[in-house]
Amino acid sequence: MSYMSLFDVPTPARELAGKAAIVGLGETDFHRDYQAARAKTEGYEPPTAEGLAATAFERALADSGLEKSDIDGISVSFLYGGPDAASMAASLGLTPRYLNDRGGGICAGPIPVACGAIAEGKCDTVALIFSVATRSIGRKFGGQKFDSDAPSSYYYHHPWGWSSQAAHWAMIWQHYQQVYGASEADLGSVAVQIRHNATLNPNAVMQKPLTIEDYLASRYVVKPLHLFDLCLVNDGAVCLIVRRADLARDLPHTPVSVEGWGRASVTRDKMRTLVVDRMRPQYQEAGRQALDMAGVALADVRHFEGYDASTIHLIDHVEGHGFVDPGAGLEFCKGGGMAIDGALPVNTGGGILSGTYMHGWNHVAEIVRQLRHEAGARQVDGVDVSMFSLAQTDQVHPIIFRRGER
Amino acid sequence: MVQKRPDRTLGPGHDTFWNGCDRGELRLQRCTGCGTYAWPVVQKCEQCAADDLEFQTVSGRGKVVSWCSFVQDYYRGILPVPYDTIMVELEEGPMFLSNPHEFGENEIAFGMPVEVAFIACEDSAGRFQLPVFRKAKV
Repeated sequence: MSYMSLFDVPTPARELAGKAAIVGLGETDFHRDYQAARAKTEGYEPPTAEGLAATAFERALADSGLEKSDIDGISVSFLYGGPDAASMAASLGLTPRYLNDRGGGICAGPIPVACGAIAEGKCDTVALIFSVATRSIGRKFGGQKFDSDAPSSYYYHHPWGWSSQAAHWAMIWQHYQQVYGASEADLGSVAVQIRHNATLNPNAVMQKPLTIEDYLASRYVVKPLHLFDLCLVNDGAVCLIVRRADLARDLPHTPVSVEGWGRASVTRDKMRTLVVDRMRPQYQEAGRQALDMAGVALADVRHFEGYDASTIHLIDHVEGHGFVDPGAGLEFCKGGGMAIDGALPVNTGGGILSGTYMHGWNHVAEIVRQLRHEAGARQVDGVDVSMFSLAQTDQVHPIIFRRGER
Repeated sequence: MVQKRPDRTLGPGHDTFWNGCDRGELRLQRCTGCGTYAWPVVQKCEQCAADDLEFQTVSGRGKVVSWCSFVQDYYRGILPVPYDTIMVELEEGPMFLSNPHEFGENEIAFGMPVEVAFIACEDSAGRFQLPVFRKAKV
């Protein structure tokens, strides 16, 4: 189940807006665990996905102020293997009436699915758990051994030596450079900005500031993409506790309301859509669905979290949704537009480029902190609407969140 | 000289493509209903969802719309790095990922016209002819 299945995600509908809210957040110690995994001092034991999941859940439960007996739903996303929902519930001491193993791995499916289940009365409070031991299991990205359930662009071009996530972004970036006349230093500004954001997040994996010089001196992985254009690989877990809206008040933290979502897929001519169109039709369509469902305008979005598998991918999000015109994203970033105090603060916790590779769950966790106004040194002043946008090479899934009322 | 390459995707439909290559023909599926060409091999037309597709030999001409060079050795030495890959927009419409033939990264230009050539290769299923692209003859 590496690739998210669309079939369970409820159709975006106004009547589903604001039916549920995130009331609990738990994460593992990304920075500390990454350091430990690299140091491997004597006696070091690599984490398991199940163990990480349990830690994130316990922390989310404590954060929510709820009891285990309040949790009547569970949704698990073990991207690279782990227990099913029933086994996980049993090991956590939960007795849920709603279980979901099919929400999909990366973070766009499970949240709307949980909201739909709550709206249908299947449960009131769902613990959504995501966990990966990506680094510890030695997961590799690209090459002949890539998953057989991957989209064909990941394996079909093997005879020409074309493989990997990075190659997709490299093709996009080369084309972008040719069309808009951008330079490598322009794209480097994205890596530098997101790293800066990470340095304001004590739990981000990467804490060392990055300069343009560091970026340009870094090795190519797939030229023209540098090492720092690509996301991290690390272990960890995130747990979100999503609760029926009317039960989400009177808890320790301001609820974060799930207001809207959308979905659009690439159905034909994938490489053209990805490289030439940069999936703009899909961003536009899915974004419109989510905004309409939430009843907000794009201009109301004060904070944006985009799935940043690479720097150019993040620019695709920002341009694709229409925050800036096509071709204007890099100048926008260089001018500070994506900074904490910019016109559109982007990936304020460091994203997956510099924060933690939690496949979008970290982006939502950051939205929770921002909308609670608990983001510390990187708090976006007065933010009340945030947008999350997940996109892979063939699908786009935005979610709109709003600061709730206690 | 036969080059070693990572494995092709083989099976019904795919084999027709590769058999064409072995005869020096670039053959792609075309929808008999709406006329849309497909690549990679599909089960039904992506444009109109019809499942009546037939392979037709295409011109092999196109232009380079993007490229990238692999520095990281994703194939564990099967292909020596660095090597170049190009995305060719074929005259008939599809985008075709391939390698430049007899020219390198420094000569690749946006929009440059190219034409198909075939080189002898080998993967774990045996020998085959691989379609690559050289600079188009003026």
